[in-house]
Amino acid sequence: MRATDVRLRLPQRFNLVSAILWGLRIVVVVLVLAGAWATLSSGKLSPDTWRDLVVFGIAQGSVYALIALGYTLVYGVLFMINFAHGDVFMTGAMTAFFVARNFDESGFLNANPIVALLILFAVSMLTSMVVAIALERIAYRPLRRAPRLVPLITAIGASLFISNSVRGIYGEQDQAYPTINALQGRFDIFGIPILKTQAVVIVAAVVFMVGLVYFVERTRTGRAMRAVSEDKDVAALMGINVDRIIVTTFAIGGALAGAAGILYALVFNEVDWFMGFLPGIKAFTAAVLGGIGNIAGAMLGGLTLGVLESVGPFLLLGGAGVPSPNQLRDVIAFTVLVLVLIFRPNGILGQSEPGS
Amino acid sequence: MQDLLNAPRLRRLAAFGAVGGVAALYLAMVGLVEAFKDRNVITGVVTLGAVMLLAVPLIAGYRAAIVPRDVTEGWTRSGLQRAVNGFVAGLIAGGMLGLLVFVGRAVDLRGVLISISPDLLDFLSFGLPRAGAAVAIAVVGGAVGTLGALLLISPPRIRAVITTGLLAVILISLSEPFIRPRLEQLDYTAISDFLYQAHGLTVPAAIAAFVAGIVGSALWAPARARVRQTVEAAPPERRRSIRNWTIVAALIGVLILPQVSGTFFAQVLVLIGLYLLLALGLNIVVGYAGLLDLGYVAFFAVGAYLTALLTSPDSSLGIGLPFFVALPIVMLGAGATGLLIGAPVLRLRGDYLAIVTLGFGEIARILFESEALRPWLGGVQGILGIPNPFPARIDLDIGVAHLVASGPQVLYYPILAFCMLAAFAANRLANSRVGRAWNAMREDESVAEATGVSTVNYKLLAFSLGATTGCLSGALFAVQLQSVFPGSFDVLVSITVLAVIILGGMGSIPGVVVGAIVLIGLPQLLREFAEYRLLVYGGVLVAMMLLRPEGLIPNRSRQRELHDAMDDEEEAEPPQPELAAQRGSA
Repeated sequence: MRATDVRLRLPQRFNLVSAILWGLRIVVVVLVLAGAWATLSSGKLSPDTWRDLVVFGIAQGSVYALIALGYTLVYGVLFMINFAHGDVFMTGAMTAFFVARNFDESGFLNANPIVALLILFAVSMLTSMVVAIALERIAYRPLRRAPRLVPLITAIGASLFISNSVRGIYGEQDQAYPTINALQGRFDIFGIPILKTQAVVIVAAVVFMVGLVYFVERTRTGRAMRAVSEDKDVAALMGINVDRIIVTTFAIGGALAGAAGILYALVFNEVDWFMGFLPGIKAFTAAVLGGIGNIAGAMLGGLTLGVLESVGPFLLLGGAGVPSPNQLRDVIAFTVLVLVLIFRPNGILGQSEPGS
Repeated sequence: MQDLLNAPRLRRLAAFGAVGGVAALYLAMVGLVEAFKDRNVITGVVTLGAVMLLAVPLIAGYRAAIVPRDVTEGWTRSGLQRAVNGFVAGLIAGGMLGLLVFVGRAVDLRGVLISISPDLLDFLSFGLPRAGAAVAIAVVGGAVGTLGALLLISPPRIRAVITTGLLAVILISLSEPFIRPRLEQLDYTAISDFLYQAHGLTVPAAIAAFVAGIVGSALWAPARARVRQTVEAAPPERRRSIRNWTIVAALIGVLILPQVSGTFFAQVLVLIGLYLLLALGLNIVVGYAGLLDLGYVAFFAVGAYLTALLTSPDSSLGIGLPFFVALPIVMLGAGATGLLIGAPVLRLRGDYLAIVTLGFGEIARILFESEALRPWLGGVQGILGIPNPFPARIDLDIGVAHLVASGPQVLYYPILAFCMLAAFAANRLANSRVGRAWNAMREDESVAEATGVSTVNYKLLAFSLGATTGCLSGALFAVQLQSVFPGSFDVLVSITVLAVIILGGMGSIPGVVVGAIVLIGLPQLLREFAEYRLLVYGGVLVAMMLLRPEGLIPNRSRQRELHDAMDDEEEAEPPQPELAAQRGSA
């Protein structure tokens, strides 16, 4: 509300700030066009490479989308950024790793890959859910009415606390997830060969998203959630237990993050205690890109960011002769974050000013 | 027995015990106990790992002995019943840890819980077989829980005396890395041998420390009251001169500190100073202007890299300017960076601003690290060969004393000077028109704008002043290491500085100083602690926000802001039962 007012009253003259903003716009457009032109005209990458990059981008984008849903759901009901959500995602994947290793050693993983995967999902989702519920109960609930910065600082602290606790409990080395033989190789879908793991990841993510949409749109609890995000006080007057709905929201967000943890492990094969930080920020970027508080937006934002991040380094930087462009992929994600927040903070699908 | 234990009470006690048990299990599983189990507090008697674990049932017992206000059924104020409460809670907490030992002895848990090592289990089992060990831990827990309850029942005077005595023992014991080398260097070996043995206090020294703590605490309160009375009774001009002399004495104390304390301590002081300078800068942005900047490390990095580029003959510029010629350019550069980063994010609301600045900080780090910019910034290898503009050794003979300073003892002085300059400037700014504008903006941006505060300009001013202060720290950091590496500038620096400000109190300069000493200085006492530093910082951020969001030494107006917003909630809550109980027991 305030942000809009201030913006409307700003004098429309060309001052230092707008000069810097325009400079930024021009620099970005020139860089993107020049980089893309240089790469495309050099023709260094084959169509097959492009296709693989795009599919990989969709796979990692669907992981981002699942995490982003957690940010969006919590933002929808509490208007706060749950900075520790990335670490909630990490706890699930880290805990499930030990189950997966056990399954792998006993041969169960390759004998019954589907059952084993389902159990892994259950373990990871349950862990993340418990952590998310505890986080809400201990760290956020007492601060509902505090000034906005207070819960944000708490969330930053909680993020450090969770990740370093996991580091102390499970150890600080990278853990390689066991591979599933049934998921090696490629599927042939409409003549496009796609890595089996990536296909599974995309399908699983879609299933979870459809489930979430059904839950929010069609069930009683989902309706209560929507009511709480509209207006907490009125919802309470209508007989909705607001505290319980908020806990439920955290639980669902946590469970989706746990699922994303397993999918992340399938795509990247490696987990460690610090893995929550970057995917967490990228998923937040995805949520903002799509319009925070908007479920469809989170999915769209996740996919967009995933593809941008996978294709971007090669398209924009590779052709310009920048050495080892993949090192800069995180810069692309952060640049998208910064640019979206500066130029379009309500995102692609967001209607109103966020936080109004 | 019916009187001593009944179902509802047992349930409440079980809850306290279970929370304590989870805490004890957490300490064991996260590795803190293992890390500190060989660090002696009193050699041959107790180690720091044991102190940490014993504190858990002590607190659980203390809390369990508090009689809740709202439950009357079956609760009495009898000392015996409350002692039993403490015992039960401690027993449950100890029992949970005992269970871990029992299971850990039977099954190797190290595949998952890496900290549950045979060493740790040996440490926890008192040399008993596993069932015996589990029971023994539970009983010890119960006994300590009873002690906690007794502590609550005892008169406040005695409670205060015992607590101070114990804290004195722990503090003097933990200061061993500072005190012992210095004592030996100064040839007071006899004292150091009396005090310390195998990095812990000797038993007689522990008793002496305990007594000293008690005597100190007994003398402290009347002494303070007396001094205050004298000062208040004095006429104004006399009071002013007392104040001036106090400042002079404090200044002399700060100036000779590295001389008295030796090189190792001076090294720690330098580190504290660097972070203090950063915190003073961030305090302008977060504390005064209320803009949560999580990318503050970028300014630290810009300061360090600009210094490296301008002064090092090995850098890509290779001009090798003298440090003090380069410094104004560095400050201008950092101030401009502050403007450049500040301008686009001004319109963003608080939490978005935090994330965008975090993004900027990460972009800066990745760029410094990248191969792409390597010809200019040196990539992962960084930039070497930064000359140190300060003499390596000072030898001063001023008649009364012969001063010798070397290494960090020398660097301490420029850092001190910059810190004092920054603190002075920040203090003057906070109490000026600019500071009032920041205050207004922080409390309500729209109202501030309506009353004629140009929020854009004041936000930019805060950003660039913060950046300039941060870059000073970066420049001194580069000089201290004589090299810069991108690895030194990750997001954790920003968060550490934030934790310093939050602990001390946003917007409070004395608070920031205390925060830097506690969060940067204390960890240096405990080498084993390094791995758990961030864990503790995270815990500090959460705990401070929940319990005391205004910090240890609050800024008045900030305190009111934070509490005004939460007052509705606090009024709705019933009064704290423990306070009532404590009042009742007193």
